[in-house]
Amino acid sequence: MAQVEETLKRIEASKGVIGTILVNAEGIPIRTTLDNSTTVQYAELLCQLSMLARTTVRDIDPQNDLTFLRIRSKKHEIMVALENNYLLIVIQNPCE
Amino acid sequence: MSSSEDKNKKRTLVLRPSSRAGNVSVSGRYGNQSSRTGSRKSLSLGGGSKVLDKSHVHIPRPAVRVFDEDNNVVTPQPLYQADPGTAQAKGSRFFMNEISGGSDQTTATGSFTMPFSKPVFGSSRISSQSTIESVNEEIEDTFSKRDQPISIPDVKLKKSTVKEPVTEEMLKEIIDVFLTETDTISLLDIPSAFVSVDADEADAVIERNNQYAEVCRNRMGNDKYVNRSVQTLNGAAKHKHVQSDSLVMVDAAVTVTTWDMFDTLCNLEQEQTIRSPQPEKTDFPEAVLDSSRAAERSMSVGSTVSSVSASSSVKDVESSGNTANTESELQLIMQSERFQHSLLVMERSILSNIFQPQLAAYRQLLVLEVMFSDPDSPVEQREEDTGSSPSPSLRSLWVFSCKLSRGRSISSMAWNKKNLDLLAVGYGQFNSGDQEPGLVCCWSIKNPTWPEHFIHCDSAVTCLDFSANSPGQLAVGMHDGSITIYNLQSPDKSRVISSHECPKKHLGPVCQLRWIQQELSLTGEDRAEALFSVGADGRICKWFVFGSVLNCTDLMMLKKVTTMKRPGGNKTDKTEENVLSVLTPGLCFDFHPAEPSIYLAGAWEGLIHKCSCSNTQEFLETYHKHFCPVNYITWSPLSPDVFLSCSSDWTIQLWKQDQLNPVLGFTSTRGAVYDVRWSPKWATVFGAVNEQQLEIWDLKTRILDPVIVQPAAPGVTMTSLLFVQQTDCVVVGDSDGQVTIYQLKNLSVGEGSQVNVLEDLLRSAASR
Repeated sequence: MAQVEETLKRIEASKGVIGTILVNAEGIPIRTTLDNSTTVQYAELLCQLSMLARTTVRDIDPQNDLTFLRIRSKKHEIMVALENNYLLIVIQNPCE
Repeated sequence: MSSSEDKNKKRTLVLRPSSRAGNVSVSGRYGNQSSRTGSRKSLSLGGGSKVLDKSHVHIPRPAVRVFDEDNNVVTPQPLYQADPGTAQAKGSRFFMNEISGGSDQTTATGSFTMPFSKPVFGSSRISSQSTIESVNEEIEDTFSKRDQPISIPDVKLKKSTVKEPVTEEMLKEIIDVFLTETDTISLLDIPSAFVSVDADEADAVIERNNQYAEVCRNRMGNDKYVNRSVQTLNGAAKHKHVQSDSLVMVDAAVTVTTWDMFDTLCNLEQEQTIRSPQPEKTDFPEAVLDSSRAAERSMSVGSTVSSVSASSSVKDVESSGNTANTESELQLIMQSERFQHSLLVMERSILSNIFQPQLAAYRQLLVLEVMFSDPDSPVEQREEDTGSSPSPSLRSLWVFSCKLSRGRSISSMAWNKKNLDLLAVGYGQFNSGDQEPGLVCCWSIKNPTWPEHFIHCDSAVTCLDFSANSPGQLAVGMHDGSITIYNLQSPDKSRVISSHECPKKHLGPVCQLRWIQQELSLTGEDRAEALFSVGADGRICKWFVFGSVLNCTDLMMLKKVTTMKRPGGNKTDKTEENVLSVLTPGLCFDFHPAEPSIYLAGAWEGLIHKCSCSNTQEFLETYHKHFCPVNYITWSPLSPDVFLSCSSDWTIQLWKQDQLNPVLGFTSTRGAVYDVRWSPKWATVFGAVNEQQLEIWDLKTRILDPVIVQPAAPGVTMTSLLFVQQTDCVVVGDSDGQVTIYQLKNLSVGEGSQVNVLEDLLRSAASR
């Protein structure tokens, strides 16, 4: 448990990481390093997008499932790790 | 109604219908047939219209009263009481004269009370009202024909005037209410038009039929019968509005997707296997329930955007109050194994973003040189571009270092045999000073900032090696002479076996460990693997695992050989002389790659002994050249029978197996050479690490000098070296706990493994 906490802290302190959000199954952020409004916005939008991506993957093959989603934009990279009961979102600015 | 008030009283109701005049019967054909009353009282209205027309017919209105036992009037009040004030309709005056004198026992038809018998029986009230209504329609029609306005006064509820004070005693009385069946009322009597042949009247009917048929036949041209037309009256249409309760419309939508069906099917099967003993009948509603539950479970995988937005709106409501829930949820999520895996993948992704150019270079992908150079020194780039054949150099890619390992000296490194990205690094003390507890870190290329595993050991780590047969096992040799085998794949890195309690363990630090695959095992293709170690107590041991304990057999004792070059001395003399054999510390050993029973061992005095596994007493050969401890011996992986040795006497020697003197010797600087390794790719390239620098030698290019020299950071000594198997990279560990990955650049050795080049070289060197 302490190791998990440590790993999470390392991720949050990594170079270029802007924020980390952990969202539960209903779309409510339960742990975040960003301010409230940004967190809520990210959580809601990424929940929807990951559901859509998951539907896409599973429609092609129902035994398959989505595990990781990366969105690279001009300014940031948003990485989402998906599981059944949570969503781990990390926003990173790769080049400084 | 007054009767309702009397319900509680013990009374019986008696109906006394008053005599009626003008009993008009309803029959199938209006007014054509005689009424058949028989034993039934019939309420007939058929000739009502005719009665209307004949206004002169005054039928005294029968007053039906209901009396109870005490002769009280308990006549049920009509539902509608006419207001005498509003009953003044113009055209109906001739009726009003009759009606206005009426008592409050008029029928519910308001101003159109008919001279019929009013409803007598309660049960027939509704039906009679309907018939009255139908008659109303006829009346309206007749009135409409006469063009007279009809006004229907509003229905008024008249309060009954009969009121008796209800006292307590009356309430407590037990009242018997007797329900009796009323007489049968015949409302419609359509007599049958069929008569059975056996009936009594059959003959008369048949005769009448015959008569009628004859009449029909004689109809044509008969004066008796005249054609006459009759117009039927069309009844006036009446509009009636009905309003029902408003329907609540709910939109329900379902999107069926492939995975939704798959999920439901899987869950159904799961539930059914769990609930198989239950009877068949309940399966269907269960299935319905389960699918709904499955739908709920997969709600987080909602297929429609609307559902997600609905859930988010629900979230807004719920987020205000559910803090306790989220805390426990957080704990639950964080303890799950998949979360740890997600964290691992996430961390690696982040780091691959940060270290992207370095990792790409490591993996030998094409990398833009721009990524490496500083943005404010464009001069470098131009230089690189214009250089015709750039000189070989090393580029530092990254450094494995974390707060755990800082400050500890690296004693040995080993690659995992199966996962080529995993590097085990053992941290021990460089100088045999105060011994800190040792540390082993397993670094992965994918995460340069934090080791994948780390193990704290009891004493300083001096050597380690991964097993080839079971790649998760790491054997660690320590300063106190014990050897421990760790299983990295177990979650808590529980040690598998330790030789701590073994009586025959090494008495001094274990200097080198190696897993060697020796003979083919009987069962499969796996070659049997055994762990070999050499220690500072001069013993080379082969270890076995008995249950959970390590045990060993001595393979060789490194005896101190004092006088080597005795004139005329032979081996037997030597052994005879040294009765008391003092063991000299062995520092390194290496097994021949092709013949697994031959191995070389390097000793403290600088001697290299060639030994055989089968001969545990004597050396096969001894190579003399070094006069300081031999730090490392390594057979060439590509060229047979060639090996390198490095020593603290500042030299590296290149030997051929059958020659007792080295073929080539290399010296570059004044410093003990701690490590030497062959390049796995080119037979003529090897690397060496000494106190001050890292050297890469290429024998094809130059024999006297190393091709690449990388000086160590000031104050730091490089202690160990490894080549990377498949890429052109070199791993260097130093005394500060840092493991640096260097990339070899521009080392133009040529195609092929250069084995023949090396052989030519050696031959030419030997012939000198």
